[in-house]
Amino acid sequence: MRLNLLTTTTIAMLLASSAYAQETIKIGVLTPLSGTYAGIGQQVRWGIDQSVEEINAAGGIAGRQIELIYEDSEANPAVAVTKAEKLFTVDNVDFLTGTVNSGATLAVGQVADRADKLIATTVSFSDAITGSGCSPNVFRVNARAGQQSVALAAWLKQEKPGAKVYYLGPDYEMGRSTVAAFKERAESVGATSTGEVFAPLDSKDYSQYFGQLRAARPDVLYTSVAGNDTVRLFTQMNDFGVSEGLTILGASGTVTAQNINAIGAAAEGFITGVGYSVLIDSPENKAFTEAFRERNGADPDLYGADSYGLLFAYKAAVEAAGATDTDSVRAALEGLSWETPQGTKTIRAGDHQAMQPMYVVEVKNGQFTIARSIAGEDAIGPDTCDKF
Amino acid sequence: MPDLISYLQFVLAPQMLNGLALGVSVILVALGLTIIFGLLDVINMSHGEFYAVGAFGALALSALGFNYWVLIALVPILMIPIGVLTERFLIRRVYDGGDRHVSTLLLTFGLGMIAEDLLKIVFGPNTHRPENPLPGATEVLGVFIPTYRLFLIAIGAVVIVAVALVVYRTRLGAMVRAAAFDRNMAASLGVRVGWVYSGAFAFGVALAGLAGVLLAPIYSVFPTMGHDFILMAFTVVIVGGMGSIWGVVIAGVLLTQVQAISSLVISPVWADPIVFGVMVLVLMFRPQGIFGRIGHA
Repeated sequence: MRLNLLTTTTIAMLLASSAYAQETIKIGVLTPLSGTYAGIGQQVRWGIDQSVEEINAAGGIAGRQIELIYEDSEANPAVAVTKAEKLFTVDNVDFLTGTVNSGATLAVGQVADRADKLIATTVSFSDAITGSGCSPNVFRVNARAGQQSVALAAWLKQEKPGAKVYYLGPDYEMGRSTVAAFKERAESVGATSTGEVFAPLDSKDYSQYFGQLRAARPDVLYTSVAGNDTVRLFTQMNDFGVSEGLTILGASGTVTAQNINAIGAAAEGFITGVGYSVLIDSPENKAFTEAFRERNGADPDLYGADSYGLLFAYKAAVEAAGATDTDSVRAALEGLSWETPQGTKTIRAGDHQAMQPMYVVEVKNGQFTIARSIAGEDAIGPDTCDKF
Repeated sequence: MPDLISYLQFVLAPQMLNGLALGVSVILVALGLTIIFGLLDVINMSHGEFYAVGAFGALALSALGFNYWVLIALVPILMIPIGVLTERFLIRRVYDGGDRHVSTLLLTFGLGMIAEDLLKIVFGPNTHRPENPLPGATEVLGVFIPTYRLFLIAIGAVVIVAVALVVYRTRLGAMVRAAAFDRNMAASLGVRVGWVYSGAFAFGVALAGLAGVLLAPIYSVFPTMGHDFILMAFTVVIVGGMGSIWGVVIAGVLLTQVQAISSLVISPVWADPIVFGVMVLVLMFRPQGIFGRIGHA
């Protein structure tokens, strides 16, 4: 009899505690808080914290408050996998986000498949995450690498129809794949390719390629060099007068806050495609950037903005589904449209990739300015996911 | 036929002129290296960092308002005390202790790493670029070449001739060569060998600093820039003959032309292996290099 009473009490307590757990929605944030990508992890954290404060202050998700559980992924896929298993099995989180490098996102996606939980990345660029390596349990709310080149190609079609394009990339996997991807897009919008060259990473002198470049007589140069290579390429092109009458397009990492001052006047007119800019002129973005600056004392970048937007999608999905179980939320997320600082995002059901407006930005007077925006449908590219 | 002319005018001729500008850059860095090796028998692994210090020195001084043309003279002069102090307090201490090549190589290697990190701490990891003092391009026989590169080729030629005259044609140079050839005999003839060694090292360091000032507007300035030319400079010194000034000049022009012309026909990534292949061939058939050493010629 006593044993029975004890058992009943224990069960009651367990029920009570799980009933209490139902009170909050637990979300795991697995992001690099130390190491090379700590700066990106910081933006992720700022963005997510800000969105949770706003959602909780407005009454939470379907009346339930959000509880965040942070883990440091150290930007290491092996560490990320262990911490993801802990978040799913020990902390019993309902949803997981925050992974930064694409390797970690792909690995944690497999953990989510086994645990039958949903994850979303707000940072990883690799096309594979919602392409060849897609998973029914993985979503991406930021723009993937392909969307940048589609946006640039759309700009090319509108501004320089029938352009003759020359390509110059750093000679390794990233350089060759970005050039190949943009070349395919540019040709599909009617541009002619006049030649391509791959320079060794850390090249001292790009002048040796200028002869071939001049002889090809292009109107547009596409490049995906980065860091100090950009400084040398751009200034040497200016010195040689190669950049006269030439429009230079590039990857979003080609000209950044780190090298724009050293490039100086040679960066004028450089054009690239991005998924977010603080300059986006919308009431949503103004409210977001002001609150972000006040809260964190820094400007948001695309990682902060994409991370901020994510939980509003999760909130909309849970409230539409009326439940937090994996199948209901997945179904509600597929095809969902919601408002973010970048404009309306829509999750494509076929590959779980968010469609969003893309922005073409141009360097003017040493500052990035928005040259035009490309509608989400025009920049998304084909659905190549065949897993679900 | 128009295609051939256009190829010569737009591709081959500019390529060779650029190769020449690059060759002068490499020779400027290699000159100091070969003098320090030829006269002191020290393989200066920190030479690239002295080059970087010269470039950052020019950057800092031009921020203070110094004119670029003044810096071309001022920075090498300021490098002299740095060179003298390094030789007196560091190189000399390990100079006679055991295996000179290994101990001075390790010492200068460590010195280079420290210098690189100090530059990173003081100036930050990002790239800087001094304004080009001679912007624009000049047309030479139908070929456009940036004015500053023409200036670099000209001043490089002047520096090379001046250095060769000092080493081979002056009394000072004769004393230095005597000290390198036979230290004890030179000392017994009244040559102050200690000062000669300090002076020769400082001369090499000042040349590295000069290269830093002259190349900064073209190649930009950043803490790890010391690695840029050093491999090529060592190759040039080895092919030219350790310690020989004319060897450096000939090997410098030869190797950079090989690099420039070969990268027209094959992928540029393969241009470097070809240059090092030439070095291997020279080492196989003429291990002392094209020319001998200054002190032993």
